Amino acid sequence: MNFRTLLLLPFLLTLAPSQATASTEVAVTRLKAAVNEVVAVAKQSPNASVLAKNVRPILLKIISFETMTRRAVGPGWREFTPDQQKEATRLFTTLIIRTYTGKFTPGEFPDILFKAALSPAPGRVEVPTTILYHGSHYEVIYRQDEADSWRITDVIIEGVSMIANYRTQFDAQFKEGGATAVIKALNQSVNSPK
Amino acid sequence: MKNHPALLIVLLAGLITPQLANCATAEKQDKSPAPTAHRHVTSDGKSVKSSQDDLAEYNDVATIADPLEPLNRFTFWVNHQLYRYVLKPVSKTYDTVLPKPVRTGVYNVFDNLEFPIRFVNDTLQLKFKRAGLETEKFLVNSVAGVGGIMRVSDRIPSLNDVPSADTGQTFAKWGIDQGIYIVLPAIGPRSLRDTVGLVGDYALYPVTWITFGAFGGLSGASTFAVSSPDTARTLHGKMSTYDTLTRDTLDRYLAVRTAYIQNRKKRNAQ
Repeated sequence: MNFRTLLLLPFLLTLAPSQATASTEVAVTRLKAAVNEVVAVAKQSPNASVLAKNVRPILLKIISFETMTRRAVGPGWREFTPDQQKEATRLFTTLIIRTYTGKFTPGEFPDILFKAALSPAPGRVEVPTTILYHGSHYEVIYRQDEADSWRITDVIIEGVSMIANYRTQFDAQFKEGGATAVIKALNQSVNSPK
Repeated sequence: MKNHPALLIVLLAGLITPQLANCATAEKQDKSPAPTAHRHVTSDGKSVKSSQDDLAEYNDVATIADPLEPLNRFTFWVNHQLYRYVLKPVSKTYDTVLPKPVRTGVYNVFDNLEFPIRFVNDTLQLKFKRAGLETEKFLVNSVAGVGGIMRVSDRIPSLNDVPSADTGQTFAKWGIDQGIYIVLPAIGPRSLRDTVGLVGDYALYPVTWITFGAFGGLSGASTFAVSSPDTARTLHGKMSTYDTLTRDTLDRYLAVRTAYIQNRKKRNAQ
């Protein structure tokens, strides 16, 4: 290390955390904007099916369903053909959106408190929130990755990771019949009456 | 014993909001590096920059030994039928018959009565500050909240979100292994450790004392009058949680097992 590098070191050391903070701010800003957008749409939606339809373009913009599907499937994803990957992603997207809009009650909106965001690893930000709904508090963490342009890649509610939960189910299907079984099971779930 | 109803909707408002009730994956996931960039195919068929080495990221999801899986699946199926044909209609009737403020009041009263479970277990876990907060919360709600009907503590920042403790958590803090996974008839999923913990929770719950006549014995009707509202409000929360958890799953048994174990892990880490 030469003398010039030595002089530069304190500057570099202070620069690293500030870059991490900048990333965190970008991720948090995106998340908050997305939440506001979803809440605004929800307020104008008279029922769950209208909400699902109206909120879909917003969710596609702010959630990386491709990454979610891939991680939910796990290493078996490599054995999917590009067409199967595309189909699995399409079905999983529909399933997730339907799941999370299915219990919507018009006029009921929780209070959301954003806590200080964390950066557990370079390129990843997690934003913890506390949601107050019907008198109960729920801890919800939004995980966002830089590789996905800070889109959401997982939602962890009361310690339960949405992706981890599907991963267990996909694993069982994959062991049974590979990509075909996973897609078949997804199809059945998406097409089953609710 | 705390329930987490309607987690889902909550999610939605939060953004894509889902929900649930009791553990933790997170330690390993939280510390894992964010994946590096590669290319993959998106839903619209485009090849885009993304991560491929993240496929193993969820390999270490919280797990639990399930040597009784065939029996557990059978019990789970029985519970599911019970849920569909008995408990859900009962819960709906409860919602219909009682106005929401009354239901909230009933919930609050019994939640307040769970104070001994939380206090004793906080103490056993050496969380004395939290035990103090629980005591404060109990006194505030019992006195200012008229016997716990109103949860006045929600308006006090230091008391409005105190994590609740139970006997299963205490065993976890003491280093006792979680043991195997068990689906209990009517009650639902538990680890062996939490099953034993459940006995401790019941022993610390005043409603159990009344039911078993610890105060000289009540008539059958009185016992029913005391325990049925508690059962109804517990049922209400559990129904909502179960409904949310099992909706749109590929295998509802696995979905509930994974969610249970993750949620317990999270709660044990609190």
